[in-house]
Amino acid sequence: MNQTFSFPRWQMLVASHWSENRKRYLLSLLAVGGLQAGWYGFLLLLDHFGPINLFIQYATYYCGLFLVGCFYASTIFSDLGSKSRAIQYLSIPASHLEKLLCGILFGVVLFFIAFTIVFYIVDIPMVSLADRIVASEHQHWPNTFLPIGNLGVLNIWNNTWAPILDKRYHFFLFAYFAVQSAFLLGSVYFARWSFIKTVVSLLVFWVVFVLYAQKGIAEHLPDGWHPFDLVRWVHNQDNMASSSLVVLPDIMEWILIYLMQYSIPPIFWIITYFRLKEKEV
Amino acid sequence: MVSIQDLSFSYKRKTVFKGLDLNLQPGHIYGLLGRNGTGKSTLLRNIAGFLFPRSGRIDALGFEPRRRQPAFLQQVFLLPEEFYLPPISIARWIEHAARFYPLFNTDQFYKYAAGFDIPMEGSMQEMSYGQQKKLLISFALAVNSPLLLMDEPTNGLDILSKSQFRKIIAGAVDEKKCILISTHQVKDLENLIDRILVIEEGRILFDQGMDAISQRLSFTLSSDPEETARAFYSESSLKGNALVLPNTDGEDSRPDLEMLYKAIILAGEKINKHFKS
Repeated sequence: MNQTFSFPRWQMLVASHWSENRKRYLLSLLAVGGLQAGWYGFLLLLDHFGPINLFIQYATYYCGLFLVGCFYASTIFSDLGSKSRAIQYLSIPASHLEKLLCGILFGVVLFFIAFTIVFYIVDIPMVSLADRIVASEHQHWPNTFLPIGNLGVLNIWNNTWAPILDKRYHFFLFAYFAVQSAFLLGSVYFARWSFIKTVVSLLVFWVVFVLYAQKGIAEHLPDGWHPFDLVRWVHNQDNMASSSLVVLPDIMEWILIYLMQYSIPPIFWIITYFRLKEKEV
Repeated sequence: MVSIQDLSFSYKRKTVFKGLDLNLQPGHIYGLLGRNGTGKSTLLRNIAGFLFPRSGRIDALGFEPRRRQPAFLQQVFLLPEEFYLPPISIARWIEHAARFYPLFNTDQFYKYAAGFDIPMEGSMQEMSYGQQKKLLISFALAVNSPLLLMDEPTNGLDILSKSQFRKIIAGAVDEKKCILISTHQVKDLENLIDRILVIEEGRILFDQGMDAISQRLSFTLSSDPEETARAFYSESSLKGNALVLPNTDGEDSRPDLEMLYKAIILAGEKINKHFKS
């Protein structure tokens, strides 16, 4: 049998992981649904005009996805932080690749699907309830004749409510998978408190990155030039009309955007694989 | 089966092994003895692939353990001193965990578990430490791996269970299997192991079969000062001096493992010289 990847062996690993963790996972999903219902219930108490509008749903979905998804990812390989659990986990006769793919299946794929399903299981009836409450109490916005109308259920693939300039990009979705993959790596890298340590590491990385992008690059630019964003550099004259702009070619910008959108999670997964392979107990 | 050559290993600043050589053959139950902190568990984890040598070479069943290939992990089972069992029922655990081991025998598992008097109901995490340990020992033996490594397996077992452990282990070994038991409770291994390894200061200080020990050493009680002076090790007791002496009369002597261990630790060089003479 192949020592790097065997589908039957991976299936056994997935079945074994599910068997050992299903109670915990189902209870966690119940808790996530309960928290969302509690949050919506709180909004219903506060606001009787537009309590669960589409922006609130958008923010709730993505805040929940980031918080719960990253926390869950930081527990995927947390067994490696305990000597007894690490020996039990590493001694399972499956390859490191199979173990990583099992972690990605549960932590990335199935979690995303399950979280989205739970979100809608709570969202649809709560939005419907909010609509009925609003309809029974008010017809118009306060001091206007504008009708309130139905709130509507969020389509998570519709980016209209994203607080970013260019609505074409699913910025938060891509950012979520990138950040979550960093937490997955953190769960192998840090033996204890991996969630907190990963948060701190990402913050440090972010500060260094911003400082470099703003100050570090500026040091290498000719006098009067400074960075506008990652692909634009501007030279300010006395007024805006006479300022000059240097822009990377479109193709370069697209390559950069595609790399940032699609390459960060696989890069972190590959690093996770090598960390897993080199893990000692 | 296991060949270790010139193994060096250290934890950050603490050197554990420096040039350790060892060979393990199938058909034997080895007892790995040594003081606390001499590296017994570290050696087992190096052989099982959970720790990596800093230099030197380990070959176990034709594999390099540090690569932790599935085919290797199917043939080696490490029973650690600190272990973890998932919070599920025994039946479900067996259903999923056993499938990874091609030689796992379910009937054997339930036979061993019954021998240890383990209750089969409820979650495994509700069991006491001793019951969990007996469960894991039953599993480890039912895996039928050619190489079984056990780290302090009798810790936490009651007197009856220790006796049952010896009985089961003695029945489980065959000419294709090798069992390496690390312990500091030498009495628990009496009448069980057929070869002793003593680890001290990062190397194997003593490596002899029980037959050779019976032939070359004598374990006796004596009040004779001349005999006491000749002894590799002596210990006063109410009945006289307990001695470990060179066996000169040619009759096999029943080894006292505790006395032997103390003698090796205190006079290892002399005893080794005696075995080589």
